[in-house]
Amino acid sequence: MACLSTSGRVVCGSRRQQTHKLLCQLFGRQSGYSTAVSSSGSTSGSGSQLQWNVNSQQYQLVRRFHGLSFNPGKDYLDLLQNSHSCSHNLKYSQCSKTNLRQHSSVHTQQPAGPVREIQIDPYIILDDELKYFYDDVRDLLQSGTSQPELDTIASYYFDGQGKALRPMVTMLMAKAINYHLNNESHQLVHKQRQVALFSEMVHSASLVHDDVIDQSDFRRGKPSVNALWNHKKVTMAGDYILSIASIMIARLRSDDVTIVLSQILTDLVQGEFMQLGSRETENERFAHYLTKTYRKTASLIANALKATAVIAQADDNVAEVAFQYGRNIGLAFQLVDDMLDFVSSTEQMGKPTAADLKLGLATAPVLFACEKYPELNPMVMRRFTEPGDVERAFELVHKSHGLEQTRFLAKKHCNEAIRLAQELTESPYQKGLQVVADLVINRLK
Amino acid sequence: MYRASGRIMQQLRHRMPALEGRLAVSLAAPALKTFTQQQQQQQQRHEQVRWTATSTVSSKQVTTPPPRHDWNRAVSEAERIVGYPTSFLSLRWLLSDEIANVALHLRKLVGSAHPLMKTAKHLLYNGKNTMQAWGLIVLLVSKAAGHAPSVPDVEQDKSAGVLHSQRALAEVTEMIRISHLVHNSVVNLQSSTEAGQDAATYDDMSFGNKIGLLTGDYLLGHSSAELANLRNQEVVELISSAVRDFSESEFIGERDEQNNPLPYKPGTFQRPSLSVAVDFNEHDVMTPMPIAQVLGNPEQEWECRNILNAGSLLGKSCQASLKLAGQSEELQRHAYRFGKHLALAWQACLDAEPFQCPTLPLDTTFSLVSAPVLFHLEHDPSLYVQLEKGKQSVDNIDYDAIHKAVLAGPALAKTKELQRKHTAAALAVLQHFPATDARQALENIILAMQDL
Repeated sequence: MACLSTSGRVVCGSRRQQTHKLLCQLFGRQSGYSTAVSSSGSTSGSGSQLQWNVNSQQYQLVRRFHGLSFNPGKDYLDLLQNSHSCSHNLKYSQCSKTNLRQHSSVHTQQPAGPVREIQIDPYIILDDELKYFYDDVRDLLQSGTSQPELDTIASYYFDGQGKALRPMVTMLMAKAINYHLNNESHQLVHKQRQVALFSEMVHSASLVHDDVIDQSDFRRGKPSVNALWNHKKVTMAGDYILSIASIMIARLRSDDVTIVLSQILTDLVQGEFMQLGSRETENERFAHYLTKTYRKTASLIANALKATAVIAQADDNVAEVAFQYGRNIGLAFQLVDDMLDFVSSTEQMGKPTAADLKLGLATAPVLFACEKYPELNPMVMRRFTEPGDVERAFELVHKSHGLEQTRFLAKKHCNEAIRLAQELTESPYQKGLQVVADLVINRLK
Repeated sequence: MYRASGRIMQQLRHRMPALEGRLAVSLAAPALKTFTQQQQQQQQRHEQVRWTATSTVSSKQVTTPPPRHDWNRAVSEAERIVGYPTSFLSLRWLLSDEIANVALHLRKLVGSAHPLMKTAKHLLYNGKNTMQAWGLIVLLVSKAAGHAPSVPDVEQDKSAGVLHSQRALAEVTEMIRISHLVHNSVVNLQSSTEAGQDAATYDDMSFGNKIGLLTGDYLLGHSSAELANLRNQEVVELISSAVRDFSESEFIGERDEQNNPLPYKPGTFQRPSLSVAVDFNEHDVMTPMPIAQVLGNPEQEWECRNILNAGSLLGKSCQASLKLAGQSEELQRHAYRFGKHLALAWQACLDAEPFQCPTLPLDTTFSLVSAPVLFHLEHDPSLYVQLEKGKQSVDNIDYDAIHKAVLAGPALAKTKELQRKHTAAALAVLQHFPATDARQALENIILAMQDL
């Protein structure tokens, strides 16, 4: 489904490198931009580890998409100081020893001062909140039913294999706001974590229903729910996840939070309805696409982030910053997703490529390509139904600048997100929010 | 868009005479001004109607009830008591872009065998049996209970004696019920099933599933937004748990390929001898119905299945409505019980219906977990051999043979007994409410149902 793409675990190194090269060509407009792929033998558990070295900035990032399998029990400051030299030592030494030396010396010098983005891995600083995240969702789902099969279907996608992007961003924003308001009570964080649970549950419920609609057989590199279970039961399981999530949020006893979060559900469905019809004219098409993208993807993140601000009793300005940050991140995320649909391999995405075209959907790369190749217009209007349409459109998108333009637009949203994050008081979490913007634009799957 | 919704409306007219004027106006005159004027006039007319209704109801309806309880009359009088008819078909709802969109897409499905069409037909042509005006019941219960003096005046709909929030809740109740019906119309298209292999109908079925799924989601999404705006988290919790119960109900027991329920094989469970009725934990809505305790006892199993399937939403909506009115916990609980028993009595009535005539009408089927079948299985376990044929699809079952067998046994009498039991329970709970025209209307509806 075009909706939020999700990942399967990547094992195949050479394939990754190939795609990587492709992406580098695509992204590598900046000079001196070089990448190295970790050839580390330990592929399991920690996802892709890439080292990026941008120009002289020595901007370095460890990218971990599966941040949940991390060493528990460390205070984040401790981790901040030592994460590179201890937990990543092995991998780093294989990457580049010189870099490591430079960085470790920098790190030890700044325990109290402003924390540089280099050090921040959002998944690490949120370890406390995310460690048992999926266990908690599963427990919650289990507690609401006496029917084992319902429980099984409902928990199927909460297997810890997803990127957990939504909960991660939600918790980052929550903690950044708490820091901003100088209120870091444990109780407050716990409530905000429920919002994070809600965001992931609603996302999964939408995946479950999407599976029935789209009839695709695989998601996240495993059979999708509709391949395994009765579609009627799958539909009911989606409703079940929603109902349990609503009960959980109602128990926060905050009218405003419930109102903010209920907006997500109406937006999601409206987005789906928008996707059904494509009778817009060429001029309206892009606006239609962006509105649809907001409703289907960005609204969830934006409103979840806003809800964390509302719980923290932040003023309207802060809530708006949270909302707009989430909106921009969400839009960028989906734009990149739509772009990756054209460049990634099947294994990497855990779903077939050009999936959107096959579903008849014209995403940003195609819409951009239309400017250069007007012959795409009739194909868009007939939803790529004629034989050869999908292949031809795929080819034309690659020949045009559609992918670069899509990335440029995504980049703009990410920059806006970074600007918004900077309006909050500086903290590791606030830095983390900026790192996330970077993760979103540079992700490979 | 207008044409599409106009089609639906035409079909709706005979069901909702009072709304007709408004619908016609809204379609003919898109100008918002005329529309609101008309709405105000309509409102005034309703107030007049309702005013005369209360003054006459107490003298006419209460003292001289109709000799034979007439269903349609009981319902239309009840609708007058709470202002205008159940609000689920409000203009706002019908004229939304999404629903107009759905109507357009539904037209493509006309002529296909997708069960969504059947569901839509049932919803639009309300025969006396499918018409379960749940929103109406919620409004009547709300009016019968009244509201706490602490509720501010602006919240009240003076003309009808119910709160605006209660009206919204009644609408949510209908939306959730319909969303469940619509989601239940999804066809299982797994490749292992018959429906999934029929290439001729596959596209229709898959398109119908898409529309059905999205329509149900639309209703759920809007219910949750409406609920949130009530600004009462206990209500949100309660109604969400009713959605949970609906989903859970589709997982109980054995199922055929299309998820139609089949009874358990007799002797699967030791028959429990429970004297206490099983129900939800009233202190924790998250706790699911402990249905495992009652499996093997036909009456209680039937009761649990149908509480999940129907009684939960109606009961919890009635309860939630009194929460909104600031009524006591005790009265709330009575409201829940009333809704639950009413839904169960209704269900028993529906279950008995196919067995009312000596031969099963053509093309008619019945649920295999309906009360008569379950009672008959208890009486004569050998019937299970017939039911076993339905494991792949209930269509393989010889309904006529089962119909005949059931009629020869005591099951129908027991079902009638079951209906009377829940009717009596509902009427008994109603005595906790003050005597009003609304309570009288509820009694009339129950009595009329018994005569159906």
